[in-house]
Amino acid sequence: MKHPSFHIIKPLLFTGERSSTRWFSYVGLGIGVLLLLLAQQLFIDIQALVKQTSIRKNGFDYISVTKQITNENMGRDNRFSAADIDTLRTQSFIQGAAPLISNRFEVVATAGDQIPFASDIFLEALETEFIDTVPAGFTWQPGQALVPLIFSSDFLEMYNVFAPSYGLPQLSMETASNVIIGLRCEGQKGGQVFRAQIVAFSDRINSLLVPKSFLDWANQEFEGLPSANASRVYIKTKDANSPDLLDFLATKNYRVNKEKTAFGRSKQILQGVIAGLGIFGVLVVGLALLLFSFYLQLMVARSRDNLQLLLTIGYRPDWLSRQVARRFIPVYLIVVAAALIVTQLLQYGFHQVIMFNRPELSSWLHPSVWITAIILTVLSILTNLRMVKKLLYGIS
Amino acid sequence: MLQLQKIIPTYFDPATCAHSELWLKSIEVEPGERIQIQAPSGSGKTSLTHFLYGIRNEYSGSIRYDGSELRTLDPDQLADLRREKLAIVFQDMRLFPKPTLRDNFEIKRQLTEHHSKETILDWAGRLGIDHRLDTPAKLCSYGEQQRASIIRALLQPFKWILLDEPFSHLDDANAHKAMQLILEESEKQGAAVLLADLEIVPFYPSSRLIRLLA
Repeated sequence: MKHPSFHIIKPLLFTGERSSTRWFSYVGLGIGVLLLLLAQQLFIDIQALVKQTSIRKNGFDYISVTKQITNENMGRDNRFSAADIDTLRTQSFIQGAAPLISNRFEVVATAGDQIPFASDIFLEALETEFIDTVPAGFTWQPGQALVPLIFSSDFLEMYNVFAPSYGLPQLSMETASNVIIGLRCEGQKGGQVFRAQIVAFSDRINSLLVPKSFLDWANQEFEGLPSANASRVYIKTKDANSPDLLDFLATKNYRVNKEKTAFGRSKQILQGVIAGLGIFGVLVVGLALLLFSFYLQLMVARSRDNLQLLLTIGYRPDWLSRQVARRFIPVYLIVVAAALIVTQLLQYGFHQVIMFNRPELSSWLHPSVWITAIILTVLSILTNLRMVKKLLYGIS
Repeated sequence: MLQLQKIIPTYFDPATCAHSELWLKSIEVEPGERIQIQAPSGSGKTSLTHFLYGIRNEYSGSIRYDGSELRTLDPDQLADLRREKLAIVFQDMRLFPKPTLRDNFEIKRQLTEHHSKETILDWAGRLGIDHRLDTPAKLCSYGEQQRASIIRALLQPFKWILLDEPFSHLDDANAHKAMQLILEESEKQGAAVLLADLEIVPFYPSSRLIRLLA
């Protein structure tokens, strides 16, 4: 077959069409695509916003649990026994539990000559899997003079609030990391002075962490005792907001870090709403394509005689389908491009006006949104071609 | 070569077709042959034409063009056969009603560009419809539409041409002119002509007569 012109055939196919159905389907498609793209971009924005404060690591939530101190149990030993920790570990919704063990000897920290600061402190240790930021040097072996420290970001913030009142200099994270801290450890069985240095800051753990090997060694060395039962336990769970977990903790009268689980819950709700918006967008796109298929069926029904005669005199249904389908490609491109532009404008406004240009976000659409738009265009075009082919082969 | 192997409409009783020279017979049509099919009303003339053109399939037996079974061709292959090898003049003309005669011709011509636009003008002049070229087909008389339908059929390469009562709306003078044009063009292409009519067409120089009968 040569390359016949479609121009002369076009009036035979689009006879007395009612364009309102077609326009409704275009508008519907535009709205559906817009909802879908917006949902995706918002989902990405929320992910970026919560990244800084996320308590998740490797797909798990890590939350600290303590026993609730009440008037009834005050004065008792409210630390977690090995049995308590085993019970936690056996729960299906808990993927791991680690006690936060502490020092059983006295520790005084000094900040050297430059910063006249000395204070009794406590040291704690936790399995490294449960720590959010574990640098390579966070290890200790007997005989090692320098003890690596992981310092709570909250503690540094607190120090910087009170430091000026005591005539002490405020410290940035970088400066604090360079200060050599003196650790004077003393117990019943002896004592020793160590040098310590902050190797990382933790957002998750409000404590001064040392390697577990150091604390086990020091408790034994200076106090002659093994590391004691812990008053805090970290648990690893797939969902900190799981009702099973929260119910279990409530029945055990355990207290969790409420702020973080509450934040997790609102994040979950927000993501649910956005996912709902996305699903609604998919439905609208589906409905729009369905409406468009009705329009095509109507068009083919109206032009049935002409189409049949074209096929009778030697026009290939394959060629006719491609020609008819091709008419709608620019419309699909325009509809998706319009939805993309509106999404971009809304994202720009959201970032600049509502989020005050926060650095975690971008004013521009995420590349995956562009990819979705391209996929939607290709899908619409292919669906359209398939529908036209089905109709034309049906009458040939 | 066109081969018909014992074809018969499924709605015909084989017992009543015993005298037919086509139904349930094996027939071969050689290139360049001129076949006259005489078919009284109700003997299945139009059905036969539609079977041969692949529009309808309510028949048993087999129809083969150059060895290819017509019934097994997919819609695109059938379109290729109709465009490149098999021409037809329908009894009911089947022109696009709204487009002009010129556009009707162009819709067919552009498929293969086997003939030029000038040829259309020449043939329209010979058959006396050149003054109607810019008139929508539905406003032309049956006679004009029939002549247009003949010209449209000839605007393609073909090895076989099927004519179903092609002169039913034409006077003798116009029928002769149309016949002449068909014969000229089929001779040029070495094509076989199968003309089906109620009576024998006296000015058709056929090489074989087949009585359809039912």
